[in-house]
Amino acid sequence: MACTVRVASPLRSYTAGAASVDAVGHDIAAVLADLDTNYRGIRFRMIDEHDRIRPHIRLYVNHDAVTSLQQAVHPGDTLHLICALSGG
Amino acid sequence: MAMTATEKQRYARHLSLAEIGAAGQSRLKNSKVVVIGAGGLGSPSALYLAAAGVGKLALVDYDVVDLSNLQRQVLFTNADVAQSKVAAAAKRLAALNPDIEVVAHDLQLTADNILDTLREYDVVIDGTDRVSTRYLINDACVILGKPLVSAAIHRFEGQALTYLPERGPCYRCLFPNAKDGQVPNCADAGVLGVLPGVMGSIQATEAIKLILGIGELLTGRLLTYDALTTRFDEFTVARRTDCAVCGEHPTILTPQDAVPKSKTTAAQRALISHSTPRQLQLRLGSAAESTTPILLVDVREPHEFERGHLAGCVNVPIGELAARMDELVASLSGSSRGRSSRPDVVFVCRSGGRSLQACEMAVGARLTAVPINLDGGLLAWARDVDPEFVVAPV
Ligand SMILES: [Zn+2]
Repeated sequence: MACTVRVASPLRSYTAGAASVDAVGHDIAAVLADLDTNYRGIRFRMIDEHDRIRPHIRLYVNHDAVTSLQQAVHPGDTLHLICALSGG
Repeated sequence: MAMTATEKQRYARHLSLAEIGAAGQSRLKNSKVVVIGAGGLGSPSALYLAAAGVGKLALVDYDVVDLSNLQRQVLFTNADVAQSKVAAAAKRLAALNPDIEVVAHDLQLTADNILDTLREYDVVIDGTDRVSTRYLINDACVILGKPLVSAAIHRFEGQALTYLPERGPCYRCLFPNAKDGQVPNCADAGVLGVLPGVMGSIQATEAIKLILGIGELLTGRLLTYDALTTRFDEFTVARRTDCAVCGEHPTILTPQDAVPKSKTTAAQRALISHSTPRQLQLRLGSAAESTTPILLVDVREPHEFERGHLAGCVNVPIGELAARMDELVASLSGSSRGRSSRPDVVFVCRSGGRSLQACEMAVGARLTAVPINLDGGLLAWARDVDPEFVVAPV
């Protein structure tokens, strides 16, 4: 069963503008990998070459901050992709 | 200090709130707030703070009013176009509330002037449109021990967070680092005009509560608003012990100007070539015979690209360029197949600014071909080469 991924505005160019998409996976790493198969390139915008979350990105599962890509994700959870914005 | 009869009338709806009353209104009158950026966010926040009777209200900006600002920057009118933003704003705010003092700082904040500019104010409101300026302001506020109400917007999405010295995380705790190129601004991506109205009003609300000492602030809570789905959300943000400015062992002890985004040196920048629209037209016309192939990269946002683009152009929005440089290198080797030399890469955008930034990034990333900037962008192309060409608004 899938979890819901809420996509930050600057990353929606990957999801054809969709604010919310589905993805599957038992942990953050798996969910992001699944996301990347459907929206090629989106993972690299959030995660660097050393599998670290980029410093202008924050991930939350439901309302818990993600600190490790091994953090579990359960069916029905919502993964929030949050990106620093600069507009004023 | 006793209130005058007109003040009693002006603030009657505040005075009847038990949480404000005469004592609270007097606190507002004795407070000093500085709004940085007289733009989409600064407009509503400054208007509401002036209306609320903040005794000294300062605005910091160095820009002039552009017609394209009026879609969201409600401080200004048509008559203000081409005028100094802070001067026009000061006039508007003084007209709204002649009982307050309005100060116009017509300057660009730098590491050298920021501490002196912000020092006298009780609350700082960040409504700027560059991420490097956001870090400069955040660091100055941490160093000075000033509360900072931040907000930012992009297309249909807004964020807000309030920093309270010693009591909560700062903007760097939220996002330790970001570069201007990674975070698109409104000029690049567009923005729903009313969105900063919502977020700027939230900033004014935070500042007023802070001055009054009432309610709960957005301290340690990132508020997000998606105007497209009408969804507010909030996420807890913890203070980072390793924060570079507010952590246990800070490495930022004085404000610092941002290093150039792609760390290009003057020598590297000299590697960038420039092309006028007519030169590019000639170059494209002779592309078939040329031994040097040409790759056109349009760095505008997809919605701009869709409205009209040059034939054969690939679309890589500027905010994605750094992450997609490899892809570009791959398409370079693809397009040079069977030709004797490496392709020229021409970056284009609406007016030539984003494409120049792209050229700098290409040099910084050691993309081997010499990057070429279409000077003046597609607006110049439409003016000088193809009057039928549709240049989408940002
Ligand atoms: Zn911090």
